[in-house]
Amino acid sequence: MDRPIAYDKLAREERFVRMRAREVAEIKVSQGLPPFPDLSSSESIKERVHGIMVGELQAMEGAGRSVCDFPDAPWEFTMDMARQTWDESRHVEIYLRLLEHLGGYAGEFPETTILWRCACAEDAAARVAGVNRGLEGLACDVFNQLVHIARKIGDPILERAVDFVLADEITHVRMGSKWLTKLTEGDAERRRRAIEFQESIDERFNLGGVRREGDHDVVSISIATDVRRMAGFTDEEIERLIKTTQRSQVY
Amino acid sequence: MRALGGWIALTPELSAKLLMGRHVWDLAQQCDAFGQRLPELRSRAHVSEAANPAVATFMDSLEDAEGPDQTVERLVGVYGVVKPHLLATYRDHLARANPVYEPPTRRILARCIDDEERHIAAGETILKYLAAGPRVTERVSARRRHLEGLLAAAGGVTGDGLATRDAPDVARRQTDLSDDAQEFIRLEKATGTWPVPEDLEEAQRSFAAALVAGDDAALARWLVPGLELEATAWSSLRGTRYSRHLTVAFARLGYQRLVKTRLEGPSSSATVLARWTSSPEGWRIAALDVAGRDAVRPA
Repeated sequence: MDRPIAYDKLAREERFVRMRAREVAEIKVSQGLPPFPDLSSSESIKERVHGIMVGELQAMEGAGRSVCDFPDAPWEFTMDMARQTWDESRHVEIYLRLLEHLGGYAGEFPETTILWRCACAEDAAARVAGVNRGLEGLACDVFNQLVHIARKIGDPILERAVDFVLADEITHVRMGSKWLTKLTEGDAERRRRAIEFQESIDERFNLGGVRREGDHDVVSISIATDVRRMAGFTDEEIERLIKTTQRSQVY
Repeated sequence: MRALGGWIALTPELSAKLLMGRHVWDLAQQCDAFGQRLPELRSRAHVSEAANPAVATFMDSLEDAEGPDQTVERLVGVYGVVKPHLLATYRDHLARANPVYEPPTRRILARCIDDEERHIAAGETILKYLAAGPRVTERVSARRRHLEGLLAAAGGVTGDGLATRDAPDVARRQTDLSDDAQEFIRLEKATGTWPVPEDLEEAQRSFAAALVAGDDAALARWLVPGLELEATAWSSLRGTRYSRHLTVAFARLGYQRLVKTRLEGPSSSATVLARWTSSPEGWRIAALDVAGRDAVRPA
């Protein structure tokens, strides 16, 4: 079995349309639309939920690869990645059902593989830093905001489902922090590279200023400072993330 | 466990993906329980070591079905060969494990038996769903024969010979741990009918027919002003014979629509992606790309 696999080996049913994230954003902007769904309408919520479903799919695939790709990593690492695979597969199901609930279907919007590419890092420490801390941190932001919006529009199904998933994501961030520390013990250079990788992902998913500190109703993706604290991010890390969003170029 | 984890990304079908994703964690817990029990029995913990070289050969062969079109080979290997064998091995071990001396081992085996019965039932359900059709059924049988031969030659995973206790009929086993295979299949099929506007459906049908006919003039009529046919992916497909077309995806990109069409011919197939935009003249194509050649079909 190939370990790891090339990122273009990610397998999909034909009903999914795969496009580059930049191209999707550019085409939407050319139509006078925001580059990312802004949660201002039921249609944009559906599009956001579809994006999350695809993200969960890729997270399941990425966690599964982490079970497979690192046979020499500590056994407890494999256990955590296996648990995460299970969690993500339940999340995929939850979001598929939420899509049905919102009148949508799998494949209704293009899939971008930017998240999966991040999950293809060859070093286990970089992978957990990038995926569990970078991407799952982003998930904390997105889900926390979605819970708020669902509550506001009076959709208890969406609110409760996403809230349960959010609890898992917090656990995944904690796993990432634990393994970033353990895997890089006594290897400052490896730790530096892993953190650098995570920061490059944070920067990428600031989405040119779309993710920011601010009110759920005003900002497209609001940084969930309290949830991030609960997940184990330090105040210094949160502050640094907020600062990077302020200097991210507008798309 | 590691093979299932790695295969999720390599498997196109949603139902099979979800199945594997659910079972990786159960298997990790099984490994962990056995691994913790081993030192209690004065052995080493968590050492991955095949019982003999033939077991390693069997496992290598099991794992080599990595292609996107080999989902049924993967499923039959794990759910049709390995797991029934493990189930029989666990049952055999449980029957021989002394109830007074070995309750810790017996408890682990009971949990594993429970998991494997559930996994096999779910796996067989998905396999039956994906392996419809005589050609796929033959692939399943061939794969099963091949792997069972290797497993028998290895003397089973323990190397001590195949356990003789047959797996009981587990097909009707109740699932209560959220790995209901029927639900995975339902979710995979849930798309139903795409909400394609009538006028776009008509345009798409004419366009796809022009692709099959290789009619440049008819194709060019569907392009937005300024987009030349030569500048599209059609230039790389022209000359290939296709006999039929099938719409395989319909997505939205703002006000525009993405339609994926599979073209099938006697010697090859291709998938093209058209981005349709509404205009005063009706629906027109703003971009045309090749999404895949000799496109892989599910299972």
